[in-house]
Amino acid sequence: MIIRKFIQSLFAIGVGLLMIVGSAFAEYPEKPITLVLPLGAGGSHDLNARVFTSIIPEYLGNAVIVKLMPGASGQTGTAAVANAKPDGYTLLFTHNYFDQLQQHVTKLPYDTTRDFKTVARINYGVASIVVRADKPWKTLDEMVDYGKQNPGKLVFGHSGQWGAIFVPAAQFLTESGVKAKFVPYKGGGPAMKALLAGDSDFTMAFTSVIKAQGSKLRVLASGGNSRVFPDIPTLKELGFKSDIGRMYRLVMAPRGVPEDRMKTLYAAFEKLNGNKTYKRMMGRLDENTDLMLGPEYEMQRPTQSDEFKVMVKAITGN
Amino acid sequence: MWESFLEGVQLSLRWDTFGMMSLGLFLGMFVGALPGFTTLMAVAILLPISFFVDPLVGIPFLLGVYKGGIFGGSIPAILVSMPGTGAAVATTFDGPELTKQNKGKKALEMAHYSSVIGDTVSDVVTILFIGPIALLALKFGPPELAAVIFLSLIVITITTGGDFAKGLIMMFVGIFFAMIGQDPIGALSRFTFDIFPIRAGIPLLPMLIGVFALPEMMLAVERKAKSIVAEKIDLEKSEKLTFAEFRRCFRTILRSTGIGTSIGMIPGVGQVVAAFMGYAAAKNASSHPETFGNGELEGIAGAEAANNAVNGPTLVPLLTLGIPGDNLTAILLGAFIAQGLRPGPTLFEEQSAMVYAILVAMVLANFLFLIIGYFTIPLFVKAVSIRQSVLLPLTVVFAFAGSYVFRSNTFDLIVLVFFGLFGYIAKKLRFDVTPMVMAFILGPILEYSFGQTISLADGSLLNFVFVDRPITRIILLATPVITGFLLWRSFRHKQKSKA
Repeated sequence: MIIRKFIQSLFAIGVGLLMIVGSAFAEYPEKPITLVLPLGAGGSHDLNARVFTSIIPEYLGNAVIVKLMPGASGQTGTAAVANAKPDGYTLLFTHNYFDQLQQHVTKLPYDTTRDFKTVARINYGVASIVVRADKPWKTLDEMVDYGKQNPGKLVFGHSGQWGAIFVPAAQFLTESGVKAKFVPYKGGGPAMKALLAGDSDFTMAFTSVIKAQGSKLRVLASGGNSRVFPDIPTLKELGFKSDIGRMYRLVMAPRGVPEDRMKTLYAAFEKLNGNKTYKRMMGRLDENTDLMLGPEYEMQRPTQSDEFKVMVKAITGN
Repeated sequence: MWESFLEGVQLSLRWDTFGMMSLGLFLGMFVGALPGFTTLMAVAILLPISFFVDPLVGIPFLLGVYKGGIFGGSIPAILVSMPGTGAAVATTFDGPELTKQNKGKKALEMAHYSSVIGDTVSDVVTILFIGPIALLALKFGPPELAAVIFLSLIVITITTGGDFAKGLIMMFVGIFFAMIGQDPIGALSRFTFDIFPIRAGIPLLPMLIGVFALPEMMLAVERKAKSIVAEKIDLEKSEKLTFAEFRRCFRTILRSTGIGTSIGMIPGVGQVVAAFMGYAAAKNASSHPETFGNGELEGIAGAEAANNAVNGPTLVPLLTLGIPGDNLTAILLGAFIAQGLRPGPTLFEEQSAMVYAILVAMVLANFLFLIIGYFTIPLFVKAVSIRQSVLLPLTVVFAFAGSYVFRSNTFDLIVLVFFGLFGYIAKKLRFDVTPMVMAFILGPILEYSFGQTISLADGSLLNFVFVDRPITRIILLATPVITGFLLWRSFRHKQKSKA
């Protein structure tokens, strides 16, 4: 009896030791990683995440599980990751407006710069200014002139306060000095519908949305540094100074994740970017694969914050 | 059109399409039946599967999950009074009562047949009138939506059981609960007292489970634990639905199908309103409205046919305009795009055979659903055919687990318990919680669309809604007429039952 107990405890100690040694040698990630989206199902972040999380396990050696935590304009999901253990098993998939703009318009229960470190900017969406094809304005200048002559008459339908359509348009309107009427819609789809129905005069939209509408829309200008439509000028070419219309899709980790684990993640994203299936799928979604790894992106965050602060001040007056 | 339709029929008649669609239906039904898992989550999780197969296999697969999920949500609503989604709320009025009377099998079968009929008819209507429906969807802007929601709230408050005054009170309570959190337009915090968890508002799912399922359990405990230990509802031995019963409900099914299809054409209203309107209309048309809420098969038929009939037309804005009408169709949009198909006017012109093939697959899915449901319903019945003393604690476990998995947030458990107590007290005071729940669901939509209307009206609201928007004008003018008629009917009925 005693001998049996002894053997049992020896066995238990052995197993315990093995587990300790094992975990010291096992490489991160040894279990699935959770990727929190502070956004709802079916948006562009959701689709992008579904694509890359179905391919990146090849390079990480473990699954990445998408967890949608929408609510409170992204605050619910972001707060959950900010409070998560910085062990690299909980990551956040967010964008630059949540990351650097939101703090200037509302009180947040976390400090994005202090609490998060960038793993990678996987790509960015470029928004373009569109009007219905039967509107008289053939160029952006013509619309701006109309807007200046009729203050408050130009109706701008957007996808929600301080969202991915609202911000670039607000930047553009602030810089051109046009006073427009802002009408909110629940997401980019309804905002596009309002444009087609004639309820609004212009909106901004991402490339795939615009292409699906074919000849029903006219694109006046695009954001970003290079043209997305060959014949349509970018706002930069038209002389606008701020970085307008680029929504960066960012994978972030709570600050404090060990450096070797961060390196594992950087390497996985770098390899992902060379994957052909990934490139093909992103191409179908009309998204680019312009990857920027964490260390480089980190340097941009303070500049972004300053730019957004100026813009918010110009719009809200405080 | 006829040629591309025929071509579409040919394209959709494939074994792998059928197989994956059946799998989707089956998975959707199970996920929908699990409390805390919504159809939306199921479709989102299964989306990547569709990336790697042929479009005519992947998209019908997701459509199967969608259809199966909506029916799945009704199963716990009928058996244990736990609505999986808002669309199943109206099913809890009669479902659990029927289960208590040992007619759970009948109720499930009724729900199944009504869902299939509602879905099939609405899909056929969608195929026939896809052009006009698309046009109507475009004409329905914020003012129209606000008017429809306003009318729906009034109809719901009048037709739920009990006092009109009590119903109104509950409706306002529901609107208040909906206001907690960020306001839908400016994202400013309201009534949150700086408590972070409620900044995102009160979550719907824990509220639904709390208010409908927990009071049932508390009442069961109240009826003395002793009798429950011995009690066993043997649903396996319960009778099947008879043809006479089905025929009796047939008019209701058709009426609800019509209501559901029309509501599906209006973007942004959805299954919740449809189920309720279908139920309300069935109750109104009935010569014995007093049996509704006490285990009336017609009530199940009215709600279930209507919420499934929404499915067909909601796909129209996605297929013709490329604009998803709700979150679910937004995920489908992703599935299309990942396949290299861009829904929108261009797709419909260039690849109309493909679009028709998908619509035809939707109709075929209903026939598969008829067969699959026939074999799976007995399984669900068997699952709850255990002793009450075991089933009841299990239901409590599911209520808590379901509330938690929805967002993995412990705060949601507090919400669950709060609304459980709220529902219990309301029941004791003879307040019906339905207007509260419906106002909670519809309040934000009303607030949002009304806010948009004010922005659009540019200071002259009355002029805008009555002169510039003819559809809004019609709905607003009809509102007092419908309200008056319903009030008069319920008053007359009360007089009759007194005499």
